[in-house]
Amino acid sequence: MSVGTLLENWSEFRHFHPVDDKPHDPYKWAMSIDLDTCTGCNACSVACYAENNIPVVGKEKFQHGQQMHWMRIERYWSEDDREFPDQGAQFLPMMCQQCEAAPCETVCPVGATNHTADGLNSQIYNRCIGSRYCSANCPFKVRYFNWYDYPTVDNVWPAEMTRQLNPDVSVRGKGVMEKCTFCVQRLRAVEVTAKSEGRIVREGEVQTACQQACPSSAISFGNLVDPESRVHKQWAAQQVVLEADEQEKNKEHGTSELRGYRILEELRPYPSVMYLEQVRESAV
Amino acid sequence: MIDSSFDRRDFLKVMGWGGAAVALSGCGNTSIEDGKETVVSYVEAADYVIPGVSVYYNSTCAQCDAGCNINGRVREGRVLKLEGNAASGINRGKMCGLGQAGVQHHYNPDRVREPLLRNGDRGEAIAWDKAYALIAEKLNGVSGDEVAFLSGGVSGHLKVLLGNYLESLGSKNHFVYEAVSPAVVRAANKKAYGNEMPRFSINKAKVVLSFGADFLGSWVSPVHFSQQYAQFRKGVNGQRGVLVQVESKMTLTGANADRWLVVRPGTEGVLALGIINALGASGVALSGDAAAASQGYDKARVTSETGVSAEHLDKLVALLKERTPSLVLAGSAAEGYAHGSQNAAAINLLNQVLGNVGKTIEAPAVLPFPQMAPAKGSSLALKSLNEGLAAGKYKVLFTYGANPVFTAPGSMKFKDSMGKAAFKVAFAHYLDETALQADLVLPLDSALEDWGTQVPEYLADGAQINIQQPLMEKLHPETRGMGDVLLALIKQRQADAYKGFEDYYSYLRSALLQNKGALGGGGSDDDTFWDATLTSGIIKLAGAAGTLSASSAAGLKLPEAAAADAQFPMHLIPSVTANLRDGRHANQPWLQESPDPLTTIVWDSWVEIHPKKAAQMGIVEGDIVEVASKTGTIKAQAYLFPGIHPDAVSIPLGRGHEAMGRYAKGFGVNPFQILDAVYDQETGELAMHETRVKISKVGQRVIVVKDEGVIGGKQDGRRIALSKTTDQVKLSEEI
Amino acid sequence: MHRILRLSFFLMGLLVAAGSHAADAQKPTLTTEDSLGPQVTQPIEFPHYRHAGLRNPNDPTNSDPNKGGMEIDCQYCHTYARRSAVAGIPPLQKCIGCHQNIESVRQKPRIVELFKYWDAKKAVPWKKVHDLPDFVRFNHERHIKRFIEQQNRPTQEACGYCHGDVKEMTVARRSKPLTMGWCASCHQKEHPVTGEGGAPIGNQAYWYKFQKPAADKSGGEIKAQGPNDCWHCHK
Repeated sequence: MSVGTLLENWSEFRHFHPVDDKPHDPYKWAMSIDLDTCTGCNACSVACYAENNIPVVGKEKFQHGQQMHWMRIERYWSEDDREFPDQGAQFLPMMCQQCEAAPCETVCPVGATNHTADGLNSQIYNRCIGSRYCSANCPFKVRYFNWYDYPTVDNVWPAEMTRQLNPDVSVRGKGVMEKCTFCVQRLRAVEVTAKSEGRIVREGEVQTACQQACPSSAISFGNLVDPESRVHKQWAAQQVVLEADEQEKNKEHGTSELRGYRILEELRPYPSVMYLEQVRESAV
Repeated sequence: MIDSSFDRRDFLKVMGWGGAAVALSGCGNTSIEDGKETVVSYVEAADYVIPGVSVYYNSTCAQCDAGCNINGRVREGRVLKLEGNAASGINRGKMCGLGQAGVQHHYNPDRVREPLLRNGDRGEAIAWDKAYALIAEKLNGVSGDEVAFLSGGVSGHLKVLLGNYLESLGSKNHFVYEAVSPAVVRAANKKAYGNEMPRFSINKAKVVLSFGADFLGSWVSPVHFSQQYAQFRKGVNGQRGVLVQVESKMTLTGANADRWLVVRPGTEGVLALGIINALGASGVALSGDAAAASQGYDKARVTSETGVSAEHLDKLVALLKERTPSLVLAGSAAEGYAHGSQNAAAINLLNQVLGNVGKTIEAPAVLPFPQMAPAKGSSLALKSLNEGLAAGKYKVLFTYGANPVFTAPGSMKFKDSMGKAAFKVAFAHYLDETALQADLVLPLDSALEDWGTQVPEYLADGAQINIQQPLMEKLHPETRGMGDVLLALIKQRQADAYKGFEDYYSYLRSALLQNKGALGGGGSDDDTFWDATLTSGIIKLAGAAGTLSASSAAGLKLPEAAAADAQFPMHLIPSVTANLRDGRHANQPWLQESPDPLTTIVWDSWVEIHPKKAAQMGIVEGDIVEVASKTGTIKAQAYLFPGIHPDAVSIPLGRGHEAMGRYAKGFGVNPFQILDAVYDQETGELAMHETRVKISKVGQRVIVVKDEGVIGGKQDGRRIALSKTTDQVKLSEEI
Repeated sequence: MHRILRLSFFLMGLLVAAGSHAADAQKPTLTTEDSLGPQVTQPIEFPHYRHAGLRNPNDPTNSDPNKGGMEIDCQYCHTYARRSAVAGIPPLQKCIGCHQNIESVRQKPRIVELFKYWDAKKAVPWKKVHDLPDFVRFNHERHIKRFIEQQNRPTQEACGYCHGDVKEMTVARRSKPLTMGWCASCHQKEHPVTGEGGAPIGNQAYWYKFQKPAADKSGGEIKAQGPNDCWHCHK
C-alpha cells in the first residue's frame, strides 16, 4: 500500500458516473437552486428535520459542532470592508450535492456510501462503521455523524414526539454517518409506482421536502435526463453540463451573462446541484 | 479495494470490531422481533385506511394568524408532517418553518394534560365537571363588568361563540391582545387608504421600498409575500424588481434587499418626507397636503437627520420616479416609536405621491360575514386591561391564546396587576408564565386535534373561511377544544339556546350548513356540501370587492428629533424573528435549533451590536453585556453584527422563558422585561422601539453557539455563494 | 514496505477476529441462514392450511375441518399487500365477515375466542412472524405487481417465494431465512421481462425499454435482474 498504489487506485476509483455500461437511464436526479429568490428563511431546513427524522441535538452538542441539519443555510457577507452590508447578505442552502464522482465514496472502507443507478450518493446506515473518512473528504462538509444514540438521549425524542417520526426513514443510531438523501424515500416510492405502471416518473410527480416547503419556490428538483423536466431545461439554459469540470461558458473570455454554476466544480466532484447566482440591482 | 488482499471484511476486522457491533445495533431497532412484538391491526378499518399508505387531510395552520391552508400527512393514525395546501390562494402549497413545527406543538411533551386547580404553589388535577362548576361558582354574584377576557387574535365561529359567552355574562370586557401586531400600521392604512389591511401586490411592483416591513420573515402573511417576492424578482418582461429596505436593524427582508439603507432609529418618516420633497423637486406633481408635509425636508436636512447619504437618496428617488408602479410599505420598525403613526402616515403618503394606490395597493375582498372577521389584537388592549386589573376592577379573568406575563413590557408590571383578580382562569396548551399565575388551568386540544374556522386578517386571494379539522385522535384524553369549552360554559348561562349542540363540532356544522347558500353550496345537499368543505379545507367566498378611498394627509407633521439621552445613549430594537415571534412557540425544539438566518445563533439570545461600536467599547463576540433601561436590566452574549445602526442594539424577542417547557425554559433572555412604557401618541400602542438603553460589559465571556463557524460568514476567496449585478445578466432569457 | 504492511494488517486482523468472538454473546438477535426464528405462539392459532389449503377431492362439501382447505386466495384476506409496501394484518372485521355466517364452526374454541375479541372491539394481538430489522424496507406491492399481476404467476407461488408453502401451515414460524443474502440471491436471478414468443409481460417490457436490460442471451425471452442498489431497501 505505497503512496504510488494509493494514487493509482485513487484515480481508478474516482471515476465519473455514470460509467459507460450503465448510463443514467431512465433517471438522474438533480436540483437547481435560485439564490436570487432564496430568502434564507430556513423553511427548507425545518421541513428536512420533519421529513427525515433528524435529531435536535440541543445547545451543548450544537456548540460542539454536532448539529445534524442535513440542509443548512449558509450566510455570507460581502468582504470588501464596507461599514454596513448595504446590499444585504448572501444566503446559500447547502446540503449533499450528490456528486457524480463523490470524494466520500472512494474513501469509505466498507462501501457504505455508493453511487446509485439514478445518480444519487447513497448512505447505507447499517453498513457504516463510523470511520468518518467520508466526512473528512467531503469538500462541502455536508455529512453528519451520530456521536450519540439520539433515540435514547434525553429530550431528543420524548415518547410523544416519537410518533412524529417518519416511518419511511430509518432512525439512525450511534456511530453512523448520515446526510441529505434527496428524500430518497419519496423518490423510490414514485419510481416503484411508475415502474409498476410501465412508465417513467413524470415531471412534478415527486418533490423533495425542502422544495415542497420553500415559500419562494427557489428550489427545482427533477430528472435531469428527462428533456421535459424543469431541471433539465434550467441546466440547459444555463449551459451547465453535468460531466464537465470546467463549463464551456466560463472558458470564453469576458463574463458570461448566465447565472448557473456549481460549487467547487474545480475539485471535480461533478455535483448534481446547480446554483443560480444572486443578482443585485446596479441602478441603486 | 486498495489492494486485492486487503478487502472490506479485513478492514472491518481491523478498524471496527467495535464498529461492527455498532453497525449491527447502530440504527434503531436492528433485531428481529419475531414472536416478541405484536403487529398492530385494526378491528374495523375504513376502505381508505391502508397500513403503510398515508392519508392527507386539509386543515389550517394555527402557528400564526396568516391563515395558511395546510395539508397534513397522516399514517396509521398519526400526523407526521404538514405541507401547504396547493389549492390555497394564501400559501399555494408552501409552508414556513414556523408552520412546519406545528407538529411539535401537537406532540409536545410539555403540554398540559388535565385541568389543574391551584393549591398553594401546586396545581392539582381536577375533573372537568368540577372545573366548570367552579367557574360557575366564581361567576356567581359577579357582575359582567367585573369579568375580563383576554385573548389573542380570534376569528370565525370561535369569535362568535366567545362574544356570545361574554354577552351572556353581561361583560363587554373582551381584550384582544397581540404582543407583536401591525396595529399602528393598520390605523395609518385606515387613514391613508380607507382600509386597515389593503392587498399589497409585491409581484406587480417594479420597486418595493420597505420601511422595516419584514414581509419575508414575520410581517402579516410572510409565506404569501415570499411567493409574490419570487415573482417580483423574476420581474415583468425580464425587468427584475428592485427591493430597497430602510431600517435601523437588518431584518430577513433587509438581508435580501438590493440596497439596504440604515437610518438613525426613528427617522423613517423623515426619509419618506425627504423622498417626497425630492420627487416634487424633480417634477412629480405633489398634492397640496404632500407638498405641505414635505416642505423643508430638503436633501441636506434629510441626510443629516437620517444618516442616509445624498448619493443613495438621489439614486432611490430617480429609481422611484423612473420605474412605476412601485410599492412602499410601512412596517414594525417605522411604527415602533412615539411618533409611529406619523412615520407610517408619511410612508403611506409616499404611495399616494407615487400613484401606487389602486395599482400595487388594492382593495381587499369584503368578507360577507363581518361577525366572523378577525378580532385584531393590539397592545393597547393589554394596557387598558392592566389598568383595570391594577385598579381592582376585575374579579374574574380569563386568558386564552396570549401569554401577557411574558410579553407585557416590564414597565407595566402585569404580573402584579393580574394577582389582583380574585379568580384567574387560563385556557392553555403549556404551563407558561401566565398559566402559572392562574388559579385554574384548563388544558386545550392542539390545533391538529381540534375543530374550528378561521378567517385571516390579510385576505390574499379573495374572501375565504379556513376550516380547521382534527388530523388525528386526541393525544391526551383530558384535553378539550376551545370551542367545546366555550360551549360548555355558555350552556351554564343559556342552556336552552344551546341545548341542540352536543359539541362544538355540531355547532360548527349546523352554523355552516345554515349558510350553505352563501357559502357556495346552494345546489348540494348537506352531507355533500359538508364533505366537500372538509375535503378542501377552504371555503372560498364570492365576496364583493372592497373599495379604497383616497384621503388627505393634512396636518401631517413629524416631531422634532428627540434630544440624546445622556444616561441611556443607545436605542434598543427588540427584533421579531420569523421563527419565534412573540415567544409562544419557543417550546418547539425545531424552532430553537433552526439558526437565526442573520446571525446563525441557536438556542440562545444575543445582543446585536455594530462592530465599530463594539470596538469603541472593547466588546468582542461572546462578551456578556448588560443592557439596562429605565425599566430593567438583562444580560446576554454580544454578537458583532454589521447590519445595525451603531447607536442601536438589538435583542430578539421570544426567548427567555421562565416556564413553558423543557425546550423554552432557561434559554436566553426576555427583552419585553426591559421595555419602557412609551406609547404611540395617536393610537396608544406600545412604542416597542422607544426604549433607550446603556450597555456595559460584565466581564464574562462565552462561546456563541452558532452555525456559521469560526470565520463567521466569509468565503475566504472560494467561489461558494456568487453574485452578479443586473447589468451583468440577461434575466429575460431564463426559464 | 508494502509486504510488511500487508502482513501487519493480516496479523492485526487475526488478533481482532479472535477478539470479536468474545463479543458474540452480546450481539442482538439476528437472522442467520440456518435460523428461522422462534416458534411463535399466537393468541389464536390461525389455520392457514384450512383457509388456503387445497380442497379435499373426496369431500366436495368440505365438511371435515381436519382435511382439505377452501383454496381461498391469499389476497382475499391480505388485501393490503397489493396496495402498500407493508402487508399489515387483515382487520378483525374481515374474519367476522365470513364467520358470522358459518354456523357450523361457531362453537369451535378458536372461533369462540375470535368472537370474544370482536365483542370487546379489541384487535387480536397477533405476534410478528416475518419481522425485518427497522432499516430494511420490503415492498409487498411491487412484488405482487411484478409477479402476480404482470408475470401472471399463481398467488400462492409468488407469496410463497418468501412466506413458504402457507397452504400447509399455521404460520407460527418463518420458513425462509429473510436474510439479505437470501433476498439478493433472487434479485441476482434474471427474471423474464417478456413471455413466450417475446410478448411483453404487463408493462414490464415497456418500462425496461427505458432501463435497457442486458442483451438477450438465450434468444427469445428478455430478462432482467431485480434492483440491486442498497438504497432500494435501506433508506
